[in-house]
Amino acid sequence: MENNIKIQIRNLWFYYKTISMLEGINVDFPENTITSITGPSGQGKSSFLMTMNRLWQCIDGASVKGEVKINFGNGFEDINHQKYPLPMLRRKVGMVFQTPNPLPMSIFKNIAFPFKLIGEKNQNKTFEKVEYALKKAFLWQEVKNRLTEDAGVLSGGQQQRLCIARALVLEPQVLLLDEPTSSLDEISAEMIEQLLLKLKKKCTIILVSHYMDQVKRIADTKFILSNRQLTLQEE
Amino acid sequence: MLFKENIARIVFLSASILSAVATLLILGFMILLSLPVLETGMIWGILTDPWSPDHGRFGILAMIVGTVYISSFSLLISFPISLGCSFFIQIIHPDSPGRFLKLLVQLMTAIPTVIYGFVGVFLLVPIVRKVFSYGSGMSILSASLMLAILISPTMILFFSQSFARVPKRFLDATEALGATSFQKLFYVILPNAWTGVFTGLVLAFGRAMGDTLIALMISGNSVVLPSSILDSARTLTAHIAMIIAADFDSIEFKTIFICGGVLYIMTSCGILLARFSVKKRVR
Ligand SMILES: Nc1ncnc2c1ncn2[C@@H]1O[C@H](COP(=O)(O)OP(=O)(O)OP(=O)(O)O)[C@@H](O)[C@H]1O
Ligand SMILES: [Mg+2]
Repeated sequence: MENNIKIQIRNLWFYYKTISMLEGINVDFPENTITSITGPSGQGKSSFLMTMNRLWQCIDGASVKGEVKINFGNGFEDINHQKYPLPMLRRKVGMVFQTPNPLPMSIFKNIAFPFKLIGEKNQNKTFEKVEYALKKAFLWQEVKNRLTEDAGVLSGGQQQRLCIARALVLEPQVLLLDEPTSSLDEISAEMIEQLLLKLKKKCTIILVSHYMDQVKRIADTKFILSNRQLTLQEE
Repeated sequence: MLFKENIARIVFLSASILSAVATLLILGFMILLSLPVLETGMIWGILTDPWSPDHGRFGILAMIVGTVYISSFSLLISFPISLGCSFFIQIIHPDSPGRFLKLLVQLMTAIPTVIYGFVGVFLLVPIVRKVFSYGSGMSILSASLMLAILISPTMILFFSQSFARVPKRFLDATEALGATSFQKLFYVILPNAWTGVFTGLVLAFGRAMGDTLIALMISGNSVVLPSSILDSARTLTAHIAMIIAADFDSIEFKTIFICGGVLYIMTSCGILLARFSVKKRVR
């Protein structure tokens, strides 16, 4: 089965000040697949993810040239275009950072935060969704009795799963994951992998990972990022 | 190493003891100076009477009210503006426009107060007089506006500094979840920069209460109890300055120590109150 293209990248250049990190990337990411990006450290994987939700704008000195077009259902739109509304983009493109970044508030409030941002007033609905997201990220059992505690007291691996739950809670169409299992043991990592396999039915997933066996297990398409280029990895 | 650390400890300890002692000494000195008036039993009259030396009445109530009005209005005006400016400098445009604004603000702190006074007298006062066509334009409103401009830079610099200390990972997380700029300000930045914002506010409050020249130059210095913000008024500090310049060794002269004491108590109360309410809020 051929999947529709979800993300279309054309001649993408990425710079920190005057140093180029990506040079003329051309690539398509199909819908309902997991695409993996591997490669040596410091080659621009995290930077590349940030071109797909325009987060590079928050980095001092970063700039981008070229097209990143995503089809959210109304045809391809260039998300780097200044006019494209950021809040909407980021609700549709979820992101899990390389280092877990829970906000300084309770566990519950962290996951409910995206609902607060969209102005959801219905408390019951919010609670249901929070519970659902925490269950999906395999964190519910560990935190269900301490939802009001500060999220900062969680362990590294728990924080990682918390951030995954937070990215899932608004049901994004695209999910950008930057080494989402780096602080997890094998069993938890495998649970997250199972989750991703389930999620891809509704979602387009871009996974940065340096675990080759993980990539082999779950990725449909595998890319290597090195020397400022993205190359398809053959089987 | 240990020796160095001990020296540092002694230096810091003596510095803090010194400043605590200085604060208490000043309080004691104020009380001592006010004693002659306190002994006469005129204190209640001084706190409640009108100011009319010709009739033997030396009340400073109008000045207390004037001080409260002018300093609180100026804070009320400058607080939201400063918050907005710091947000612009630190979050919306941390690049060139923000840096330029910050430079301007830094320059503003270096301008002598008397220059602000001139601008007040020759620009702001006529405008206020024209717009409201009421009185001379020398009013609580004019003084508060000018004072607001005077104290804003302090607040802006403090606020933006405390905004800058909010960890980047919090901002990135918020940003990636689709927060608008205002949501970022209210949900993440302010709750995490609260202590810095509070410090800036306290400093600005102290400066507004303590400033003499602006009020002296543009509030009109009337000793009548003001009934609207377009009325002219006199602050405690301006009052002290005027009496000291004209007089010594009279009852008028003696009452200015009461003014000083009242000012001391008012600022301390203001700071304690703010501190108390912030503590409650944080919990
Ligand atoms: N804010 C920044 N300013 C300047 N250079 C940066 C900035 N952030 C990252 N870089 C540089 O860009 C390059 C790519 O960084 P990036 O984080 O994208 O790499 P990565 O492939 O994700 O590496 P890793 O596998 O170690 O996470 C690095 O050489 C890094 O030093
Ligand atoms: Mg990285």
